[in-house]
Amino acid sequence: MHAFLEYTVTGLTVGSFYALVALGYTIVYGIIRLINFAQGDLSMVGAFLGWTLLVSLGFEHLPIYLAVVAAFVIPMLGTAVINLGILQFAYKPLLRRSLLAILITALGMSLLLQNTVLLIYGPSIDAYPPNLLPTTGFYVGPVHVSYVQTALVAVSLLLMGGLVLFVQGTTIGTAMRALAQDHDAARLMGINVDAIIRVAFVLGAMLAAASGVMLGIYYIQIQFTFGFLLGLRAFTAAVLGGIGNIPGAMAGGFLIGLLEAYTTGYVSGKWEDVIVFAVLIGVLVVKPTGLFGERVAERM
Amino acid sequence: MIGQLADRRIGRALASSREHLTRFPFWVRVIVFLAIVGAVVVMNGDNYVTAVAVSVATYAMLGLGLNIVVGFAGLLDLGYAAFFAIGAYTSALLMTQAHWNFFATLPLAVLFTGTAGAILGYPTLRLRSDYLAIVTLGFGEMTRIAITNWDYAGGPNGVWNIPWPSAFGYEFNTQAAFLVVSLCLLAIAMIFAQNLDHSRLGRGWVAMREDEFAAEAVGVPTLRLKLLAYVMGGMWAGLAGAFFATRIGTIDPTSFTFQLSVLILIVVVLGGTGSLPGVLLGALVVVALPEVLREFATYRILIFAILLIGMMLLRPQGLWPRVRRKPKPFYGLKEDEARDVSEEILREHQLQVAARGEAALEGEVLLKVRHLVQQFGGLRAVDDLSFEVFRGEIFSIIGPNGAGKTTVFNCITGVRKRTQGRIEFNGRSVVGLRPHVIVSRGIGRTFQGIRLFKLMAVFENVMAGLYPRHRAMTWQAMLHTPGERKEEVQALQESRRWLSFVGMEHAAGRLASELSYADQRRVEIARALASHPQLVLFDEPAAGMNPTEKAALVGTIRKIHDLGITVVLIDHDMSFVMRVSDRIAVLDQGRLIATGQPAEIQQDARVIEAYLGREEDELDLAEAKGA
Repeated sequence: MHAFLEYTVTGLTVGSFYALVALGYTIVYGIIRLINFAQGDLSMVGAFLGWTLLVSLGFEHLPIYLAVVAAFVIPMLGTAVINLGILQFAYKPLLRRSLLAILITALGMSLLLQNTVLLIYGPSIDAYPPNLLPTTGFYVGPVHVSYVQTALVAVSLLLMGGLVLFVQGTTIGTAMRALAQDHDAARLMGINVDAIIRVAFVLGAMLAAASGVMLGIYYIQIQFTFGFLLGLRAFTAAVLGGIGNIPGAMAGGFLIGLLEAYTTGYVSGKWEDVIVFAVLIGVLVVKPTGLFGERVAERM
Repeated sequence: MIGQLADRRIGRALASSREHLTRFPFWVRVIVFLAIVGAVVVMNGDNYVTAVAVSVATYAMLGLGLNIVVGFAGLLDLGYAAFFAIGAYTSALLMTQAHWNFFATLPLAVLFTGTAGAILGYPTLRLRSDYLAIVTLGFGEMTRIAITNWDYAGGPNGVWNIPWPSAFGYEFNTQAAFLVVSLCLLAIAMIFAQNLDHSRLGRGWVAMREDEFAAEAVGVPTLRLKLLAYVMGGMWAGLAGAFFATRIGTIDPTSFTFQLSVLILIVVVLGGTGSLPGVLLGALVVVALPEVLREFATYRILIFAILLIGMMLLRPQGLWPRVRRKPKPFYGLKEDEARDVSEEILREHQLQVAARGEAALEGEVLLKVRHLVQQFGGLRAVDDLSFEVFRGEIFSIIGPNGAGKTTVFNCITGVRKRTQGRIEFNGRSVVGLRPHVIVSRGIGRTFQGIRLFKLMAVFENVMAGLYPRHRAMTWQAMLHTPGERKEEVQALQESRRWLSFVGMEHAAGRLASELSYADQRRVEIARALASHPQLVLFDEPAAGMNPTEKAALVGTIRKIHDLGITVVLIDHDMSFVMRVSDRIAVLDQGRLIATGQPAEIQQDARVIEAYLGREEDELDLAEAKGA
């Protein structure tokens, strides 16, 4: 039982990272029906931007609040700019062309991001400052919960809450939901479709970058390849929750995190990805619309 | 004048020189080309060059397999390396553990990969096509992780000391020998791929890529075609994997990464999706470029990523694009074979109906709809609808916009899953069947917004409609057997007959998108008739036609009726409907409010109130009475 609770804490922590990346997939897919393969790599880029600030530029020596805020906000903005560039340069010209062309481009973008980071930072593993946040923790009953875990889950919940408020409560959010249903109708209602697509890409990139920085703080070590598997797991989370469904993506993220933690704990770390993919395929076979139903307009 | 004449002469000369080249069939050209390449490389004698050539051939083989999936069927497979791995491991383990001969392992390697493809493909290919990309990606990673953790297969160390292949006492142990084997395999792969592309399967794939929904609805079994492409592609990779294992001598999981899947995809995309020479060129670039640019080895993937994006943006058709040959309609058919079409068709039609063992009794109930309900969220588009259509009649469904007419068609043809109710055709339920199965049961249809395959020639569109009646098997298509050839010629003849039946024979070789609206409608009717249906559903066939064209359409519908085919149609043009129909059903807000003969409908109080009560429709009615 004790082990189970420990795994649960780990699973929820990791799950919150997946949830953030999954939200990016879901928002972008909901609006332009594109699996943005680069989503996981954007997270990796965010992690490296954060590392540059904290380690290379020495932000880690600043007062902790300042350092943490800068390490989140600047990579989020930087990644958003990169994602806008990707949208404008690579996806925009292809939006009206075949699905195959745009998917292949997205794949190319994922490789491009990975290899650009490889070019700049090299293939070696870089380390986040290990003592950025207090390393101790507290006990909930018998279970040890570190302050890092608490802080990271809190930040991601905050971001998710902000996103939900944005999508449900603002005009832009309403426009996003309208666009997810019907592009033509939305356009006829005077919604600036291009602008909303840009908003979706900015949001997706910001959430991904935040999760990247969180991953760096949590795992300490980062490498240019980690975005690939992260992206796959997050996509699985998005599909599990029902693609296009924002609360679904969050739930899916936590579920995948828990699944992974239990697999690592009870079976073996060697099989965690096999099980995650088996879940993906299983969900698609049994309930392709996900656990909570997808929110994507039907194409016929 | 003289200039024109000269132009024409030059044109003719050009055409004849092209024909000169194409006079040799594709397989001859492939064999000659690969033989020359092989000879040049072997004569050169440089072991390094030969080894690179074998690698190019291996990638080309993988590329050809993936091309069936991506280029022909239009599916994105990002886990193709998994099939390569399954083939390699099957062959390697059989050779090292069970001491099988290499050539004896090949059937099993192919069988295993094919089975894996079917198991993965069957449930996932019915999903959205973009999901397939992720599922296959996951499958590729799963396979790699599974073999890394699999101790029997050496775990992360892989399989060592895989013997050379040998046959009849000869051991293949030089790069030159491998080159010969790989070029032979490559030649076979190219010829098979070319034959497939030019068979009814190829036509089905084009139709599916253009408009999957319409393809299914005219009788192309889209799921089966996807599965076929996916499994065949997988089997090629299995064969290539077995070859790779014996050639390298040692295999381990790092040979089968996501990166390999991406590289093979680049081979296909760079060369030109769907283009066979393109695949060869792509393989050459992908293998040779890193050899030439050795000092940039670290940036290899970066360069390929930029190439991939650049190609998609600037030259999506690839370096050596697929050439769609100008289709030659009715090539090789005798001129007079299309004479007296109606009689020919009648005979053919009766033959087909008899072959299905259906007694055609005029006047019996052919289509029976009982308590049909179709719910869209809170809206009941069709509400407890019951009606019958008798064999041999022309039955019209009319009603205001949004009355649920097209929805009824969609339920009958299986495009929509009805919420409740029964639909019986020929006394058998068709509820829950896939659209292409319903077509083969004998229901053809056209669409409200025309859905021809726009980039196919007119006659190819009609041939796509013949799909459900073809019997040639895949292997026959691959080998281009006499039986398959005969069937193709028959299909051509028949498409010509149907086109002449609707008066469109003259346009057979044009692209569907070049035709006028009315002509497109006619071609769509020919496509629907090509499956020899007992019942055709026409969704607003007269929409957008001028009075002359409408009059011609009435003639065509009567001709269809004379063949013994039952017609159900939807239209708004009252005079047209009144003129052509035997009976009419009136729908309003998903409910049936009246059925009867045209004269009865015109006088029915409920109809006048619910539907004809509005001014514009009254005008229509007046017109109808006048006519």
